[in-house]
Amino acid sequence: MTKNSKYAIEVNNLTKRYKGLSAVDNISFTVERGEVFALLGPNGAGKTTTVEILNTIRKPTSGKVFLLGMDVTEKKYDIIPRIGVLPQGFSSFDRITVKETLQYYSRLFCRRKPDIQGLMALVNLKDKAAVQYKNLSGGLKQRLGIAVALVNDPEIVFLDEPTTGLDPLARRAMWEVLLDLKKKGKTLFLTTHYMEEAELLADTVAIVKKGKISAMGSPGELIENNADYLVVMLKSVDETVFDIVKKMGFAPGYDSHGDIKVRLTHADDVRRMLNAVREGGASFTGLNVRKPNLEEVFLKLTDDSLMEKSAGIEAAQ
Amino acid sequence: MNLHIIHANIIRANIIVSIKSFYREKTVVFFRIAFPVILILVFGTIFMERDNEIFALRIQDLDQTTSSEQLVAAIGLSRRFNITQVSPEADAKQYARDNKLNLIVIIPKNFEMSLIEKMTADNFETPVTLTKIYDPGSFGVTTKIGVLDMVLAKINQEMSGKPPLIASEPVSILKKKYRFIEFFVPGIIAMAVMTASLFGTVNVNAELLQKGVIRKLSTTPITRIDWILSNILYQFILAVVSTAVMLLVSYAVFKVSLEINAWLVVFVALDVFAFVGLGMILTRVAREAESASAAADALMFPMMFLSGTFFPVEMMPEFLQAFARILPLYYVNEGLRAAMIAVDHTAALKSALIIGAFAAVVFVFGIMITKSGGETA
Ligand SMILES: Nc1ncnc2c1ncn2[C@@H]1O[C@H](COP(=O)(O)OP(=O)(O)O)[C@@H](O)[C@H]1O
Ligand SMILES: [Mg+2]
Repeated sequence: MTKNSKYAIEVNNLTKRYKGLSAVDNISFTVERGEVFALLGPNGAGKTTTVEILNTIRKPTSGKVFLLGMDVTEKKYDIIPRIGVLPQGFSSFDRITVKETLQYYSRLFCRRKPDIQGLMALVNLKDKAAVQYKNLSGGLKQRLGIAVALVNDPEIVFLDEPTTGLDPLARRAMWEVLLDLKKKGKTLFLTTHYMEEAELLADTVAIVKKGKISAMGSPGELIENNADYLVVMLKSVDETVFDIVKKMGFAPGYDSHGDIKVRLTHADDVRRMLNAVREGGASFTGLNVRKPNLEEVFLKLTDDSLMEKSAGIEAAQ
Repeated sequence: MNLHIIHANIIRANIIVSIKSFYREKTVVFFRIAFPVILILVFGTIFMERDNEIFALRIQDLDQTTSSEQLVAAIGLSRRFNITQVSPEADAKQYARDNKLNLIVIIPKNFEMSLIEKMTADNFETPVTLTKIYDPGSFGVTTKIGVLDMVLAKINQEMSGKPPLIASEPVSILKKKYRFIEFFVPGIIAMAVMTASLFGTVNVNAELLQKGVIRKLSTTPITRIDWILSNILYQFILAVVSTAVMLLVSYAVFKVSLEINAWLVVFVALDVFAFVGLGMILTRVAREAESASAAADALMFPMMFLSGTFFPVEMMPEFLQAFARILPLYYVNEGLRAAMIAVDHTAALKSALIIGAFAAVVFVFGIMITKSGGETA
């Protein structure tokens, strides 16, 4: 299968086991050239393990992975010059400047005339050319990492959690860079645990949980296919409302604003619930019934204790 | 990282980055270049004086006669002592303790009388006795007493007017006169190159591994052998600079007579090869930066003190000497000294083969266990 493959990435029944733990459990997917593919999942889902197998630096326990039509376990040295990698928690030589770092990595790829200026412009680091790595902020370090991943003008770029740990401003700046790459038609393989990020950047999102893909499709499709319930928000200062809803057998929770949030499957349930609240003599000041957003779909697919996790994610952002 | 392929341009890129990182870190530069030079200056100065030392000597003349004065003058003529008189009233032992003196020579009260008596009677059975008050705990007092006895023997012989029956003449096994500093400098070179190679490699690699830089490198075309060779060449360049500085200072300050020949380069290279390789292995085996440095310490200290860096191995008890012979640094010391002091090519070759074999084993083992970054990091 070394012929020019239709797919940039082809993964068939990939499994990676560590002493009884299946970090990656029989996953399959394909990524087309020019596609932006996001692996979305919480910590420990197996994202890094998957990416590193795709990058040829870990060996699969079973299954087949083809990059640009080449088997990753056999063609390491043919694959590596054609891909670019931003590893999770990218780091570089402390005392080496931005420009020197790019020169260094260009030399590793034996690039004769690397476009260092162009790379620095792409990630908005031109005015930091002479700054040593250790003096860059987290966001700039990460952007340098992207530029480093591009020194060999790769056909596929892998980005393992490119914005984790960045403040909202730096994250937005990073998204600009990635959208730019997307516009240029690069094939991007991205991992993240930020829904927003996947929704903004990806053509295809695969949601992973405990090594398995629990859902896959475009962000729109994912909502369409998994939004088989309604989200009801109740604004209330009355604490009995919560108990009444709970007694009815639903699973209410509080969101970050202190509003009651309930997942209901049928429109009928909404009516029943509101009646019960009124009969119980409780009151509420606001009501909102809507379809779930992608973040809620993601949380439902990765974790069933919806409310707890939701608060956690919001806090993390 | 792949095992087989060597890329010269990648190795060059690595060396450029390493050297830039090095000189931008001033404390590292100090420890690497200045520290061994300071060691040479300090120890060289201490031991330089020892070689043609003029000892301070206190004499308490209880006799206060022409003869006792002449004796003091005669001791002074030997040019080995800088003499100070102690007042006859003082209690010599107390005086020595109070003034931290390790030796006071006492000329007894009726020194002149007994001397005249013995000379006129031609009676040499029982000599006139000088008392030496000394501190047995003092380092170097034995040498001082030895020199004093030699001087006294000469004075005795001159006074009795008889030529010596047995004389001795020293003939060195070496072509040139060789002082402690000539012994010391090759030892410091061997040790400085060893510690810098071992610690430089462990520190740099443990940090790069921990920070994930090695993982990033494993997604580039660099191979394991590129990486190890880059480390070796980088350390070799620094070792050459550091050795050159050490030798320049030794020549300029102590006018050492050490031979510079190709062996010097061979031993510095083998020293680097062996200990960079060992450093790569430690980084790999220990995993954590702290335990890698601790392991390097544990290997280095016995080597520093037991393999003949600061004093000849022959001064140690048998079992320690046997232990020294399994330490790789011992052979670097032996080889460098054979090359630089005695210029004994056979001995140098023997040491070179032993340390070379060690380096080769370490190198091959190092390549075998240097895995790609992702799997274990
Ligand atoms: N080298 C390893 N040895 C043992 N377990 C590992 C190793 N690497 C990852 N794991 C485990 O595999 C699971 C997936 O890890 P990872 O791929 O890093 O997840 P993610 O990147 O999604 O956070 C985790 O439970 C992790 O503890
Ligand atoms: Mg990860």
